[in-house]
Amino acid sequence: MITTPPLIALDGISKAFGPVQANQDISLAFRAGKIKSLLGENGAGKSTLMSILAGRLQPDKGRILVEGQPARFRTAQDAINVGIGMVYQHFMLVEAMTVAENIFLGYPGPPLLKPSVMEDRVAALAEEVSLTIDPRARVSTLSMGEKQRVEILKLLFRENRILIFDEPTAVLTPQEADQLFEALRQLAAQHKAIVFISHKLDEVMALSDEIAVLHKGRVVADTAATTIQSKAELAQLMVGREVILQVARDPFEARQRVLRISGLDDGELQDIHLELRQGEILGLVGVAGNGQKPLVETVCGLKPPMSGTVRIMGQDWHRFFKGRRWDGNLAYIPEDRQGLATCRDLSLTDNLLLTTRHGFAVGPWLQHRKAENKMAELSTSFNIVPPNPRLMARQLSGGNLQKMVIAREFFRRPRLIVAEQPTQGLDIAATEEVWRLLLKARERAGILLVTGDLSEALALADRVAVMFEGRIVDTFPAEDQEKIKRIGLMMAGSADDDPPRRQA
Amino acid sequence: MLSIRAYKRQEPLQWRSCLVFLGAVLLSLAISALLLQVHGKPALHGLRILFAGAFGSLWAIEDCLIKAIPIFLCSLGVAIAFRLQVWNIGAEGQFALGAIGATGVALAFPDLPGYGLLPLMAAAAFLLGGLWGLIPALLKLRMQANEIIVTLMMNYIAILILDYLVYGRWKDPQSFGFPMTPEFGPGAIVGKIGSTNLNWGLVVCLVTGVVVWVFFRFTRLGFEFRAAGENIRASRYAGLPYQRLVCLAMVLSGALAGWAGLLEASATINRLQPSIMVGYGYTAIVVAWLARLNPLTIGLASFLLAALRVGVENLQLDLQVPAAFGGIMEGLILLTVLAGGFFMEYGLKLRRTA
Repeated sequence: MITTPPLIALDGISKAFGPVQANQDISLAFRAGKIKSLLGENGAGKSTLMSILAGRLQPDKGRILVEGQPARFRTAQDAINVGIGMVYQHFMLVEAMTVAENIFLGYPGPPLLKPSVMEDRVAALAEEVSLTIDPRARVSTLSMGEKQRVEILKLLFRENRILIFDEPTAVLTPQEADQLFEALRQLAAQHKAIVFISHKLDEVMALSDEIAVLHKGRVVADTAATTIQSKAELAQLMVGREVILQVARDPFEARQRVLRISGLDDGELQDIHLELRQGEILGLVGVAGNGQKPLVETVCGLKPPMSGTVRIMGQDWHRFFKGRRWDGNLAYIPEDRQGLATCRDLSLTDNLLLTTRHGFAVGPWLQHRKAENKMAELSTSFNIVPPNPRLMARQLSGGNLQKMVIAREFFRRPRLIVAEQPTQGLDIAATEEVWRLLLKARERAGILLVTGDLSEALALADRVAVMFEGRIVDTFPAEDQEKIKRIGLMMAGSADDDPPRRQA
Repeated sequence: MLSIRAYKRQEPLQWRSCLVFLGAVLLSLAISALLLQVHGKPALHGLRILFAGAFGSLWAIEDCLIKAIPIFLCSLGVAIAFRLQVWNIGAEGQFALGAIGATGVALAFPDLPGYGLLPLMAAAAFLLGGLWGLIPALLKLRMQANEIIVTLMMNYIAILILDYLVYGRWKDPQSFGFPMTPEFGPGAIVGKIGSTNLNWGLVVCLVTGVVVWVFFRFTRLGFEFRAAGENIRASRYAGLPYQRLVCLAMVLSGALAGWAGLLEASATINRLQPSIMVGYGYTAIVVAWLARLNPLTIGLASFLLAALRVGVENLQLDLQVPAAFGGIMEGLILLTVLAGGFFMEYGLKLRRTA
């Protein structure tokens, strides 16, 4: 069989950030006329890979082949020159300009442009690829779906051959998403290579010719879409099953109830019922974006519940957050440790004080010296490197910053801990340490562990709850092997194994 | 071929940042000299007159200190708001309201002795200045109104209120039609220190400066200001009362500017009149940035910019330079120092490329 070389091929690409292997030995091919989906959890390495393709990051190892010829992308311009274009989640458009002006913006040409000529050329292009748009419309008046069309036209106008879409449906209504898919199929028919990044299984199944799944920086599957039997199979691939680590876990007597949610409902969340007791870890698993975020924000006081009841330590939500004490209470270890849990330009001591300031206050004064000593002590006992309380938060590596956040939150002696993707982006050694710390904290607290990594949930949790589209599909003990086998199905939102849905 | 490449500094510059600052000020002086030259004035001679005017005599230095008082108080206030990343451009209006509040009390109780009247005037200046700061804070929090626009617009409202009062209700019947209030009674005047020309406002500056410094450095509330200013999301995460902090910052900010207005009316001109508004509130913004919001350096920067005003007055007299020259120099200093901020964050490397 004679095959033309793929438009772009990655060959053994590896990229590490410090000890974290973001991409490991990745080989993928993108062919003209094919829609290839890249599926993976947050932190699986999708964005790193795309940044390498777009010339914004340099791989540590491996080659990029353009039509079979090795190429090096030293700058973003190199990638643009071979025809790679990206549509980002956040559109890069000038709102005050018209569609035609946006498309011509930055396009090399004569210094003077006639608006009517610009508009005619854009209209002709839009017709050719049947993406209807009014070239004279101001971008600020367009819907999200229309803005996305402008982004696509921008790439086509520059004759890009490889179009990468980073979670393009996140901002679209279902109808707009359907229109986008129609457009993507048309573009593929015109011999473009389409890369579709998503973690929405339905879309990937419906749209793709080929599917590649990334998990922890590796390609765990790369195959024609027809060979994938079901969404469940994809979900399983995404979250992985392989147990990379095992930590000793003794069963605990579950004691006092620390969290009780019943009938929580707010548009995104639907009729959530949940209970958590001191001494147990409840692993909340699911594909990202299925309601974990609003649930966590509600439990942690960032978002009031709209209907239903949330009781923390036996107190009503509003009462609890009105008079909350700094210690013996609720601790939240957020996924976003750099932007939410810490201030990057404050010292570690100040970051310790962020949530524990009431513990170091005497009258109006703050005992800074005492806090600094405490931070030094915590650095030693939690193995934070380097153990210097005067360093700025931004000077710590991701793993050490995470340990700092955990040390701080555990110092508050919480009875309810919400840990969100606590080991995302950490290397194996740091992951193991964080797991041990969580298990130790279980002696005193109930832990809600929100994770997209099934092996983490299985290693730590006493009970597992599965979320899909804002609902908790099922909750069961971690020993229930029958249910565990069906977790993939539950995460895909179906009780029965559905056949793949593909249109022509 | 040689090319220059910027790289981000890992370590802060520390003491060498002084050199950057000095370089920026020298550059702005050089540009000012160039402007003088273009204008047909002797440039070096002009700079010499400028310096002599500001530092050449004890009287000149006293004058600098007197002008530094309102600038310092306004700037300290502005810096409190800036710490929280709330952009209060309204010190000018808050200054006017403070002067109005103090004058209202002074005119209402002309016969009270100083120990009774001055605290009342201070309270009134604090309240009205603080209120003028609180309004944009509430509009920002409740209606997402941009505080830069609101505080700026409210400056004009404040000045018009001041004009309305001194042209109308509060106008001195014996002023021959000039827009000014009657002169304050002796109880309403902040006196001079010993035999100098300096008034006790200088001591108010020292005390408030130290209080603000202690507040930011050693109190829990001060820490909450710093943390909330660093990262709004983190402040919500940590349960900081962000909305209350914004209101408090704007009230304090306005109140300090209000006190500056009080001192200017009471100690410097002994009455209220439109010429009290000479743009101290805007200079304060320049000062706050130059001093990087630190209360101690705000003191130094206030003195330097006050000296610039005094020096330019001298330059105007001797070389017939237009009054706007002072504003131009102020702007140049701010621009060069802000541009110099680049070198605090980045270093430059020379590179030989093939």
